[in-house]
Amino acid sequence: MEKIESQGIKPKKGLPRLMELAMTQKAPMVGGMILSALATIASFLPYLAIYFIIQEIVGAYPDFDALDIPKVLGFGGLALGGVLLNVLLYTASVALSHIAAYGTLYQCKINYVSHITKLPLGYHLKMGSGRLRKIMDDNIESLEGFIAHDLPNMISAFVAPVVMLVFAVDWRFGLAAFVGIIFSFLIYGVTSGGDKTKKLMEDYQTSLEDMSNASVEYIRGIAVVKAFRQTTFSFKRLYDSIKNYTKTVIPYSLSQELMTAALSAALNGIYLFLIPVGIWIGSSTNDYPAFAASFIFYLIFVPVIASVLMKMIYASVNAMQVGNAVERFDQILAEPEIPEKNTFPKPSVYDVVYDHVTFSYAEDCTTAKPQTESFQSQQEKVNVAAALQSVSFTAPQGKLTAIVGPSGGGKSTIASLLPRFYDVEQGAIRIGGTDIRNMSTGDLMDTVSFVFQDNFLFKQSILENIRMGRPGATKEEVVAAAKAARCHEFITKLPQGYQTVFGKNGVKLSGGQIQRIAIARAIVKNAPVLVLDEATSFSDPENEHFIQQALSELVKGKTVIMIAHRLSTVRNADQILVVDHGKIVQSGDHDELVSKEGRYQDLWSNYTKALTWKFSAGKEA
Amino acid sequence: MMNLKEMFQLSDRGASDLKKGIFACTLTNLSLMLSVVVTVQIFLEILKPLTDEEVSWNKMWMLFGAGVIAVVLHFFCCKNDYRKTYVSCYTAAEDSRIRIAEMVRKFPMSVFNDKDLTELTTNMMGDCASIEHSLSHIVPPLMANAISCTLICICVMVFDWRMGLSIFCTLPLSFLIIFGSRKIQERGSRKHTEAKLKASEEEQEYLDGIRIIKSCHLDGEKFSQLNDALKDLKKQSIHMELGTSVLISAAQFVLQAGIGITVFVGVHLLTGGSITILPLLLSLVIVCRMYGPILTILTLLPMLFHTLVSTRRMRELAGIPIMEGRTDVPFPDYTITFDHVDFAYNKEPVLKDVNAVIPEGRITALVGPSGSGKSTMSRLIARFWDVERGTVAIGGVDVKTLDTEYLMGMMSFVFQDVTLFGDTVWNNIKIGNPDATDEQVLAAAEAACCDEFVKRLPDGYQTLLGENGSTLSGGERQRISIARALLKDAPVILLDEATASLDPENEVLIQSAISHLIQGKTVLVIAHRLRTIADADQILVLDNGEIIETGTHEQLMAQDGLYHRLYQIQAKSLEWAV
Repeated sequence: MEKIESQGIKPKKGLPRLMELAMTQKAPMVGGMILSALATIASFLPYLAIYFIIQEIVGAYPDFDALDIPKVLGFGGLALGGVLLNVLLYTASVALSHIAAYGTLYQCKINYVSHITKLPLGYHLKMGSGRLRKIMDDNIESLEGFIAHDLPNMISAFVAPVVMLVFAVDWRFGLAAFVGIIFSFLIYGVTSGGDKTKKLMEDYQTSLEDMSNASVEYIRGIAVVKAFRQTTFSFKRLYDSIKNYTKTVIPYSLSQELMTAALSAALNGIYLFLIPVGIWIGSSTNDYPAFAASFIFYLIFVPVIASVLMKMIYASVNAMQVGNAVERFDQILAEPEIPEKNTFPKPSVYDVVYDHVTFSYAEDCTTAKPQTESFQSQQEKVNVAAALQSVSFTAPQGKLTAIVGPSGGGKSTIASLLPRFYDVEQGAIRIGGTDIRNMSTGDLMDTVSFVFQDNFLFKQSILENIRMGRPGATKEEVVAAAKAARCHEFITKLPQGYQTVFGKNGVKLSGGQIQRIAIARAIVKNAPVLVLDEATSFSDPENEHFIQQALSELVKGKTVIMIAHRLSTVRNADQILVVDHGKIVQSGDHDELVSKEGRYQDLWSNYTKALTWKFSAGKEA
Repeated sequence: MMNLKEMFQLSDRGASDLKKGIFACTLTNLSLMLSVVVTVQIFLEILKPLTDEEVSWNKMWMLFGAGVIAVVLHFFCCKNDYRKTYVSCYTAAEDSRIRIAEMVRKFPMSVFNDKDLTELTTNMMGDCASIEHSLSHIVPPLMANAISCTLICICVMVFDWRMGLSIFCTLPLSFLIIFGSRKIQERGSRKHTEAKLKASEEEQEYLDGIRIIKSCHLDGEKFSQLNDALKDLKKQSIHMELGTSVLISAAQFVLQAGIGITVFVGVHLLTGGSITILPLLLSLVIVCRMYGPILTILTLLPMLFHTLVSTRRMRELAGIPIMEGRTDVPFPDYTITFDHVDFAYNKEPVLKDVNAVIPEGRITALVGPSGSGKSTMSRLIARFWDVERGTVAIGGVDVKTLDTEYLMGMMSFVFQDVTLFGDTVWNNIKIGNPDATDEQVLAAAEAACCDEFVKRLPDGYQTLLGENGSTLSGGERQRISIARALLKDAPVILLDEATASLDPENEVLIQSAISHLIQGKTVLVIAHRLRTIADADQILVLDNGEIIETGTHEQLMAQDGLYHRLYQIQAKSLEWAV
């Protein structure tokens, strides 16, 4: 399989980049282009045949008894054959170019997926699966039309004038038509607007994006605005954006008005270039019938060239748009993959050490080079999440280390650095003395498990979903883990038990059940280090109770780093780190911390206060 | 012919603009035929010497001049049709966008719960865009080509029916091929759509599951699944494309075989003396020029069919029934009653014979396992849906008879998922009551404990929030929504207690904000933490869509039923520690 050069020496853009992508399917692409050129040549055959017929007729005129009927009909046959040949060649060319196009799409998608698999997981979190998929479905797909249709059309548009010149029936007429073609392109160049049009197109695209954002917001917010009887409020925003879109799209399309009309007039007027030449030759020729035949031929033939040339203009406009789409795709391919070193063996002790870890999201974002509106809002979101400044602590093997603190203080950031969702900027994280950046991803993932709040099940059997933790696990091991994670009971109640396919035939599970399956998966995996988001919710008392029991099973004997929301759950932790503003502000065990004045004491008093609050009318809590 | 207005869901103005556009396009096509006339005149002139007449080179120059004029005329026709079609199609699309937005605004609330929101938006914007494209790029040239081809066909027929017949005799056959094979094409495209859907699903699953995939070394297995799906998509795409391109090519060939037939017939007629050379040459010119526009029709037609899918979807959207009701009914009081209410959602019963009274000015709590019907009950009060049997009434007024916006004017919602707008914090709060004074907004923000975090924002209350307020934390968003509700000051409050974990400080602040909000109001709270509702005036315990227990905390605890059991479990959970 050919690999598309993604991190080459000089990244190409626009048409050269599109050609580079198309050429990944060299054989069908080149074949398609050659056939397209041949088809263009064949498409001239009927006209040539008509020329011969005219020649015969004009030669015999007005005495048709002298006409060589079989010869004329032979030319009729040639015309028909030319049509057939053209259609066959063209069909074959389109077939090949489609094979090339879909081959390229496939190859691009595969390269894209393999690349993003190697990107840091943090990148996926930042971008979101929807947007990453959209690149595949929209941006990459846009290549299809260009490779399958525009490229072959461009080739035939190039070939047509050349053939006309080379195989000229009469070079003088040929030259006149050629001058007409050049003239048309000059007209196009002069009227196409250049930078001004480009600016209008940018405005147009911005307003298009605005409108689509406004409509998303409008629909998402409609429940709220309805509740406040404020439908006019958000409606107005959408309304304005629609009006604004119309206001930008009309000047943009009108900027093409002159060009479109002038080009059409120029192309359809090419034949006029023939007339003065015809008058000049006609008034001085010796062989009048031959002149008449070739003049008539060119008058019939030249308008056909015009339609071929029109395709070239369309193709170059498309190339620009597709080029932009591919640029976004290339941006992602240019994202640095997570560096893989495989220099150190798997650790055998599992103390986790954060050694002066400094990290910020902002730096990571500048490498992502967000360009569009939506990229930017994503960036803002990341920027507010706290950076870590010189965070140091040790999570001893087999002990529970809890991280507490206000939301946005940096708890999750600390946890997400251990499975290398992101890499630290300064300092290091070590497991058993080995810097995690020196471990292979496989070894690191074998060493560290994580269970976060947003869990995910594949559309596979429950058995497989749990077994994923360790592909060699036996069914007994899976069932044991399911029992430990308190999901055995509800699994056996499903229509096909462990073989029930999640998400199929309306099999749905509640959030709490999914979480328990995720915990069972982690139990099967049995990695020595565990990163955990306490992530129990109040949604359903029974579920909560089961999740807690499942977690108790999971953490047994592991080195655990746990983000805690409810302080009471970690009051037995071996070590509690209080994190705020990206720093560890306090550490110790519960008894120590609660008796000292400080952040933890505040948190704890708020926590107990929240626990006793009740809904009550008339009096303040 | 189907009504254009109906077909593309146009306004009156849109329909008349479209007709003008088609007319302008037809003019452009006909202006091109002037060149043909000039060309034929030149032929006549050139052929003169062959019948021993003299060529008038002066006349040739005049024809050249006529040709130039024809081109200039064509230029103006083009300009005219460009302006007519594009400007009018964008205004027509604007009309339909605004009309859809208006329509969406009146949909019952259930639609926004029911349909996938993204689906709704893509439909809305995507369909408008596709109709816009269709009105500018497809319909006018298609109709204009059809009209001018017909005109020319008639002219040629009148001029010489035999030549006309030989030019156009292949047309029906080639159209037959295209239409006759629609079934085959549809099958191909269905298979392709399936493959595409499958690939999309695999992509989404791969991307959603990327963390698990990496942490469990599933890259190989999952990657090859995705690879298979993408390969199949490639295969199906090629199949579909080849299938249709062979058919279209066949149709093209059949059509263009008319060139050969014209030559054949023409030569025979010429030598037989039935026609002179002029009709033959004219036919040759026309046969070379006619097939382009006809082929355009052939390629544009499938695109038109595709657009019709969008317009059909828009019609469907327009067909969603709008809940209507009165806006002038005063409420004597705000006691909410459920009287023998049955409600099913997608044929699945959610509430069964529910009877309840939620008294005015009191706190009523709804408790029960997830899926027991708590949210449905509270949403029925706001008439998200209409009940199947029984009545939901406020102050004795059946909510079925009320306009939903009027009804919702009586109540405030505080739910977990808070929707914020890409606007300032101030405006996001002021949505609660646009007529509120600045002092009132500030007071509400303060009472909802928003003051504390708003002060930390770069521009205070004038800080612009990102898309859906993504820059704020969950707790902060909730407080904004409470501030809104405070500002609205509605007599009925529907509350859904947050289930997500918040940090203790946020929690305390939100609790204090809620305490402000619910004073003296009729409150219905969906409770998750049973401790918080110990003082509620009434607790309704729902299980499987039925109210199985009713009473105060003390009464229910004495009953040893579901409530008692849930309370015990939760007490134990609260004590849990790792």
